[in-house]
Amino acid sequence: MSENFSRRDFLKLAGLGAATTAVLTGCGPASRFVRREPYMQMPEYTYNGLSTYYATTCRECAAGCGLVVRTMQGRAIKTEGNTNHPLNLGKTCARGQATLQGLYNPDRVTDPIQKARGTALGRESGNLLDWDAAIQVAADALGKHKPEEIAFLLGLAPDHLDDLVRELAEATGINPPLRFGALSMFEARATLSRAAENLFGKSGIPYFDIGGAQVVFSFGANFLETWLSPVSYTRGFAQMREALSKRRGTFVQFEPRLSSTGAKADEWIPIRPGTEALVALTIGRLAFELIGGALPRAFSDVDPMQAAAKSGVKLETLQRLAALFAGSPHSLAIPGGPALGLKNGLSVAEAVLALNAIPNNFGKPGGVFFSAPAPGQMESSRAASTREMRDFITKLADGDIKVLFIHGVNPVFELPAEMGFKDALQNVEQVISFATFPDETALEADFILPDHHGLESWGYQQVGTGTAQSVLSGAQPVVSPFYNTRATVDVLLAAAKLAGGAFAQALPYVDEVAFVQHRIAPLMRESGGPFSAPEIGAFSAYFQQHGGWWKKGTDLLPPNPADVLNRDLDQTESEFVGEGEFFLVPFVSPTLAEAGANKPWLQELPDPTTTVMWNTWVEMNPATAHDLHIENEDVVVITSEAGEVEAPVYLYPAIRPDTIAIPFGQGHSSYGRYAAGRGANPADLFGLHFNQAGDLAFAGMKVTVRKTDRKQALSRMESLMGVYGEGLGQEK
Amino acid sequence: MSDQNKPSVQGTAGHHDHGEEHFREKHLLLDPLPRGEMNAMVMESMQTTSWRFWLVFAILSAIVVYGLFYKWGVLILKGQGEAGVMRPDYWGIFLVNTVFWIGISHAGTFISAILRVFKAEFRRPFTRAAELMTTFGLVQAGFSVFMHMGRVWLAYWLFPYANQRMLWPNLHSPLTWDLLAITTYLLSSTMYLFLPLIPDMAMARDRSTGWRKTFYKILALGFRGTEGEWTHLRNAMNIFAFAIIPVMFSVHTIVSWDFAAATRPGWNSTIFGPYFVVGALHSGMGAVVMVLAIVRGTMKHMKYFIRPEHFEAIGKLMLIISMGWAYFFFNDYLVQWYGGDKWTKQLLHFHEAGPLGWMWFAMLVFNVVIPWSVLWNHKWRSSPWLIFFVGLFINVGMWFERYIIIPVSVTINRMPFTWRLYEPAIEIPMSIGTLALFILLYMAASRLVPLIPVWEVQEGQMAHKLTRFGRKTVVTVSELE
Amino acid sequence: MNSKIPEIKLSEEQTGKWGMVIDQDICTGCQACVAACAMENNLSFVGEVDAGYGRSMHWIRIERFWEGEYPEVKMTPGQPMMCQQCGSAPCEPVCPAFATVHSQAEQLNLQVYNRCVGTRYCANNCPYQVRSFNWRDYVRPEPLPNQLNPDVTVRRMGVMEKCTFCIQRIHKAEDKAKSEGRELTDGEFTTACAQACPANAITFGRIDQPESLVSQLIRKHGHGVKHLEELGTLPSVTYFKGG
Repeated sequence: MSENFSRRDFLKLAGLGAATTAVLTGCGPASRFVRREPYMQMPEYTYNGLSTYYATTCRECAAGCGLVVRTMQGRAIKTEGNTNHPLNLGKTCARGQATLQGLYNPDRVTDPIQKARGTALGRESGNLLDWDAAIQVAADALGKHKPEEIAFLLGLAPDHLDDLVRELAEATGINPPLRFGALSMFEARATLSRAAENLFGKSGIPYFDIGGAQVVFSFGANFLETWLSPVSYTRGFAQMREALSKRRGTFVQFEPRLSSTGAKADEWIPIRPGTEALVALTIGRLAFELIGGALPRAFSDVDPMQAAAKSGVKLETLQRLAALFAGSPHSLAIPGGPALGLKNGLSVAEAVLALNAIPNNFGKPGGVFFSAPAPGQMESSRAASTREMRDFITKLADGDIKVLFIHGVNPVFELPAEMGFKDALQNVEQVISFATFPDETALEADFILPDHHGLESWGYQQVGTGTAQSVLSGAQPVVSPFYNTRATVDVLLAAAKLAGGAFAQALPYVDEVAFVQHRIAPLMRESGGPFSAPEIGAFSAYFQQHGGWWKKGTDLLPPNPADVLNRDLDQTESEFVGEGEFFLVPFVSPTLAEAGANKPWLQELPDPTTTVMWNTWVEMNPATAHDLHIENEDVVVITSEAGEVEAPVYLYPAIRPDTIAIPFGQGHSSYGRYAAGRGANPADLFGLHFNQAGDLAFAGMKVTVRKTDRKQALSRMESLMGVYGEGLGQEK
Repeated sequence: MSDQNKPSVQGTAGHHDHGEEHFREKHLLLDPLPRGEMNAMVMESMQTTSWRFWLVFAILSAIVVYGLFYKWGVLILKGQGEAGVMRPDYWGIFLVNTVFWIGISHAGTFISAILRVFKAEFRRPFTRAAELMTTFGLVQAGFSVFMHMGRVWLAYWLFPYANQRMLWPNLHSPLTWDLLAITTYLLSSTMYLFLPLIPDMAMARDRSTGWRKTFYKILALGFRGTEGEWTHLRNAMNIFAFAIIPVMFSVHTIVSWDFAAATRPGWNSTIFGPYFVVGALHSGMGAVVMVLAIVRGTMKHMKYFIRPEHFEAIGKLMLIISMGWAYFFFNDYLVQWYGGDKWTKQLLHFHEAGPLGWMWFAMLVFNVVIPWSVLWNHKWRSSPWLIFFVGLFINVGMWFERYIIIPVSVTINRMPFTWRLYEPAIEIPMSIGTLALFILLYMAASRLVPLIPVWEVQEGQMAHKLTRFGRKTVVTVSELE
Repeated sequence: MNSKIPEIKLSEEQTGKWGMVIDQDICTGCQACVAACAMENNLSFVGEVDAGYGRSMHWIRIERFWEGEYPEVKMTPGQPMMCQQCGSAPCEPVCPAFATVHSQAEQLNLQVYNRCVGTRYCANNCPYQVRSFNWRDYVRPEPLPNQLNPDVTVRRMGVMEKCTFCIQRIHKAEDKAKSEGRELTDGEFTTACAQACPANAITFGRIDQPESLVSQLIRKHGHGVKHLEELGTLPSVTYFKGG
């Protein structure tokens, strides 16, 4: 070979050789189906070494943060925040990061399947269907039943599926879809909405401008964890704290158990559970006394001395806090979390919201607003309260519903066992699940017609709260479907067509994309959006490319403050059900939330407060534990009037001695290898008691704790020696 | 040794002389036997194996196969996760064993080289036994190091050799020094073991048949005992005896630098070098008496060669070394404590009051209290079995010391969020396997090479004479070398 | 071969090029950075038992302690700990195989996985205890490997690993800037943890450029802390305790 033969020539020759081979083998039978293209003409999304980025919406919770997913050669590699999305401005929470572990989860439902109820997924227990047969099943379910015998149970997110089913319901008379999720139960969204209605004359989820506030009083609101829209509220918190631009904001958290949000507070007030409303009103009264002037009706009845005694907060502390709150024009009081899950949750919400009248921050920066309605958002499409779910379950149990479609929610796991959802399903002729994962509810279905994972789906989602702007978040597939799954909207469209009659007329759309385009078409005429296009094809492309559509200015609505203080507010303490000696504070795991347990890396994230991984624990004050001769990691049985739960104890220094707490998120019996058989589900403890707004009084229980003679090591990130001095031989 | 006059004792006619009998009974070098008889004794001791020997041999082999090789296979296939190591205890029992076995190997050279250099006559019958310990101990140390490595199949990357990666080992790393030092020590101590073995190999060659004859023939390197050969051998041994002493000191000093050079509380101590050397001698001497007691008790004719006088002499050394160890320990502890660094103080407190505090106290009892309370007494330290147990305690104590220095100490670092207690797993069977291999090698060696350097004993016996001055019998020693 | 083997510098002071600023006052401990790091850098998950035994592979962990007793108990602000990319790193000189080396170009502590033989001396000598060792070959069942980042090596059993300051992102941004014939500007890219952090508590950038965002933040806050600076490690991460 000559000296002039360069590396380049060699590569050329080698390439020729490879091409020849390809030509030869290209004559095989596969050549009819595969079009061979030279490397230089690859489609843009498969360039070697180059990534393609797609904007979409995070489906890990209902907040609706915008994602940009990095893909490479048809694989999703990394989720990142969409920097233009008004809700999260390029940020994500841990669950958003781990969403790929859902997409590529080893335990997805891979094919449509007909199965016996209550059996695990497997080839023995089920009968794989092809999609034609599956769609026929759905069509029969729709067509062969009376409309009022057909019901849809959907997830918390107000998305295009919700809109489609709502359209279907309006046109055909089937039951309007019910939306529910564990987060709406634990956040008591109905209560928050009702409190707003009572105070301001209009229902809706309030928006709290934490970023603009100078003093923040939070009564149980876990806004840095899972509450409503955690990423945007965390941003607000950071702005409130940002000491560089202004005075550092002060944050006080009132709750019996220090939450991960409370841990960031400058002051934690461990009030006695049930006295939240009383404490809020007392602070209101003391603040008004400081300001001077006539005491408004709302605060006039409370007796600070008595309140101090009942709540376990010193009077001086209350006075100091009142002065702090009254001392700033940018004070903000937020009700939320377990405080609303009391039997008097509505009173708590009202009392705390009323505190905002002291600086009169309604509709002002750093104050309380009504959330900006998303484009196309309907008031009627709010999520169901837990009482509404109970009523629905009664209907199921009575056999009024013959066909139940379930999508995006896992009520067998999320609802209190006491509510009997699983048993009620026995009286439903046909249960059709669209589950992506084999969760507990899907296993109780007759058919699973698996939907794509969120990252494989088209769609949009209305952003209900968390940002000042009106946002419709767009979703598009970032990868082609990994398994033999099909979009539920497409399944319903095809089934409706097959079912014929009113159903076919109700949904005249070709496919999911056509439906989405139909729904976003009105936005083309709206002004103030980030882009414009004359025709729907281009508009829709921009919509997907930007990750949604949002108005530029603020769309927050100011509440009407006129009547807030001119009313009687209930100050009575909450009642607790059960005979036990401990208040129980169930809280949503900040890292797992309601549906994260099947993602291994979420399991391996340490809980922000306890650093426990992979399991459930019971938090107990060390002094109490000492009295009860309970040590770290002793397994205890918690008994409520409704049930029992077993979990190891975590000696938690920041919880009231009369309170125990347990996280929600584990305790799955199925839902994939990483979730099943791990930890305990506190929902088994919940009795059927509701607050005045119909939300479950999940924090309104007293329970007993019994020590067993077993120990179960908790997997902790922290060192028991280094953090608690355990085993160091030091005097405590 | 040339065929000189037979070692004899002047004035042996007076059989009724109690002093003389007493001397003979007590001192090997004053109790000569005919050379042929002595050689035959050594040969017989080497060639006799009872069923008990084979039983123990079989059991140990099983332990080695299971504990060392099978478990090591598991460890290699499944990873270091099979062991108890984790954050922050990245180093565990394998390195404890490494330091321990290097420590054991120290006494061999110490006894042999230092005592040879200082012409301590009592060394003569057991230099070989000690030197064998050096070599076999180093083998275990080497095994332990390799067990510790995460990717042991790449261990050769640590050796300096020209390679396509164009990388030398990092000479900044104490581990590289360690590797070089241990390799040097292994090579030199093996040669040092071999040199004095040559005349005995020649002796064995002349007195055996069959495969043994071939074996000894090869190892004897054609030694015939000419004056020239003896001179060369003496010169070589002299050079090695002097040269190996600094090597020995350097090895354990460098081992200590693995720890002392690290930025960890409790480790970063300037006294670690000598402290480790003395510690190594402490455990090494303990091991020597254990080996000698066992050899004396189990092998034929050994009661003639190894006598209470030897235990008595080693016992004195052990007492001194124990005092030295206590001195260094106290010095290290005191200075660290007064240093007042909060992490070091935390660590020192953890040593005593932590969950393994019992080990810390046991270490002091085994290393100081027991040797001091037994070895001061002339009679007690002459008792082979009593001193055997003292040696055993010292070895356990010294193993505890290394355990405290490595996994217990690394529990406490400057990031309290990571503190965690080490729980050994696969290390335990593997450690037992290493111990079994050591004993196994020793047992095999005891039947293959003369454990007693016969020529050295004979040389000593020739040099020692009992002479009568009036009514008194005194020992006279003539200068040989 | 014209490239020279880089010299190893033992004690020469280096200010570092890339650095991080962490505002503990606004860190909520939410673990988003931990998850983002795991996703970006192909970290293995190890399961309940190993995770609880100090074998988790987190390259970044959030430390928190308690102060006081109930009811005056306080949780200390979350303290994300990751490799501090020391200018004079204790991990570097102790590796016998040159697997922990200092990058002359990036001034970072590199971990060369395929040189690592697993003596674990570097981790032992790291005062920050931020190195993770692959104690086993941790299983990533199909189809989970589909999400692996092709820019980052997948580590196997017996190898040490640690935070790299997302060096793959640094290189990508540098290559891009180079191909466009310009200098890499501060803020053009960031690490996975800083990118995810909902509170913006982590800021990444050029600490050697006075006008960069990190340098400005350090100047503005004025009381940044570098952990264990007294050991002379010259860490590149500055913490604001805040509060």
